[in-house]
Amino acid sequence: MLRDITIGQYYQAESVIHRLDPRVKVIATFIYIISLFCFNQLSGYIIAAFFFYCIVKLSKVPFKFITRGIKPIIFMLIFTAALNLLWTSGEHVLIQYGFITITSEGVKKMVFMALRLIFLIIGSSLMTLTTTPNQLTDAIENLFKPLNKLKVPVHELAMMMSIALRFIPILVEETDKIMKAQLARGADFESGNIIQRVKNMIPIFIPLFVSAARRASDLALAMDARCYHGGEGRTKMKPLKYKRQDILAYFVMFCYICVIVVTGKILPV
Amino acid sequence: MSIKLQDVNYIYGIGTGQEKHALKNINLEINDGEFIGLAGHTGSGKSTLVQLLNGLIRASSGTIYYNGQNIYDKLYNMRSLRSKVGLVFQYPEHQLFETTVVNDVQFGPKNLGLPQLEIELRSFKALKMVGIGDDLLDVSPFALSGGQKRRVAIAGILAMKPEVLVLDEPVAGLDPAGRDEILGLLKKLHNENNITVILVSHSMEDIAKYVDRMLVMNRGEIVLDGKPSKIFCFEKELEKIGLGVPETVKVIHRLQDAGANIIGEPITTEESSEAIYRWLV
Ligand SMILES: Nc1ncnc2c1ncn2[C@@H]1O[C@H](COP(=O)(O)OP(=O)(O)OP(=O)(O)O)[C@@H](O)[C@H]1O
Ligand SMILES: [Mg+2]
Repeated sequence: MLRDITIGQYYQAESVIHRLDPRVKVIATFIYIISLFCFNQLSGYIIAAFFFYCIVKLSKVPFKFITRGIKPIIFMLIFTAALNLLWTSGEHVLIQYGFITITSEGVKKMVFMALRLIFLIIGSSLMTLTTTPNQLTDAIENLFKPLNKLKVPVHELAMMMSIALRFIPILVEETDKIMKAQLARGADFESGNIIQRVKNMIPIFIPLFVSAARRASDLALAMDARCYHGGEGRTKMKPLKYKRQDILAYFVMFCYICVIVVTGKILPV
Repeated sequence: MSIKLQDVNYIYGIGTGQEKHALKNINLEINDGEFIGLAGHTGSGKSTLVQLLNGLIRASSGTIYYNGQNIYDKLYNMRSLRSKVGLVFQYPEHQLFETTVVNDVQFGPKNLGLPQLEIELRSFKALKMVGIGDDLLDVSPFALSGGQKRRVAIAGILAMKPEVLVLDEPVAGLDPAGRDEILGLLKKLHNENNITVILVSHSMEDIAKYVDRMLVMNRGEIVLDGKPSKIFCFEKELEKIGLGVPETVKVIHRLQDAGANIIGEPITTEESSEAIYRWLV
């Protein structure tokens, strides 16, 4: 039941996209997301969809996995879509019923907003599916390094992020185990009113917190024992280095931007 | 009364791309009052199999019958099954949560909806059985040592008075005295109350000493099933799948290979020394 959580899930495969430098993937995803919010015609979305389709094919990640990321936000999606539909005023009124007014501008805005959100989610899930959490934090640490000058503890933040990401699946598994152990003792997590249900969760939460605290202190001790002392003077086992394919990927992104800008100028819709 | 598994398969992570066929075509019948040892190298599917027995996980295919009733029937009461088949998890000390030891043991019986007096009686008795003294009853379970926590967790299941008791590596990490104490307790419960015990263990010595029937798993399949003395004849096969036989059995086998005329199939230390003695004099 808890295993449906897919945050930071990685899909193991042998593909060009998996091999790319993580910095390229972070920047490309960023550009892609910004591009989604920059255009206002359907042609832009068609190009974005086609581009995304090609990348997914290259990445060898099944579509099933990518679309799964949409499930948790389906409510938010419907909510924003409805808001856009009802609150957009315009000239071409399609339906007027009581205080509800639906205009063609509203419909257009709704469709675009929904498309943007969907592309945003599946775009970023493609990045996490093809990049291990470690690579991802490496990339972020590297990209934000300039902030070190402003006394932002970039390395420490990246380390915290990578530990947190690393612990998500462990804690999920632990919760699953504790839940089963309490079910075996006759616990009931499904009946009762809301207060009763929260109370019934105590046998899960307490052991979970205890074990999280234990793991954290074990980890701290283990890091200490290996003389961890923060980012200063620390070298990487696998330093990030741009290769030919990465330069090529940046070039592809550049072409993508050009295509979007040019079609936006030529095509009216 | 029995537990019967028919063509049971279990696959982890269906639809995630990292599927793991943890149990393959398991056919197994566990009769009433048996003391069963379940062995297998790490990752062979032991924990998965025992979780199926009390309905915590649902088989991907196949059926399980408890006392002749299909537990996957829509009308079957899964919660009552969980109280009848008591499962002590691997590292059960991680499930303690109450403020005192007694309260924690009472959690199970309380969930069964028993009268208060019965709940208290059962929990005191269970704690006594596992060797937790009166001075520890009102202590926080988090203040106990690892071995004591283990005992409290086992008491928590015993207090529910299951018909079948399944223990996943209950003595891993205990000292030899504590190990004998817990396993002796299981033997006693089995003999006196005639409950069925299924003991998951890596230790061939423990299995040789206590169980009547032994199941050996390898890569999700049950590859050997029978009396320990019979199964230990397959020393080579057991070693090939990462297990072994008790040291005493090894000694006997070597002696027999060297031509010693030792009769019978002694497996425990006492039986072996007696057999060797008889051969010598
Ligand atoms: N929650 C899970 N998700 C995915 N795979 C799992 C999960 N639990 C177990 N497995 C896999 O199923 C197989 C059987 O696991 P299981 O826990 O039953 O082994 P085991 O025999 O109990 O091992 P051990 O002696 O180490 O406890 C293993 O290969 C394991 O990797
Ligand atoms: Mg196990």
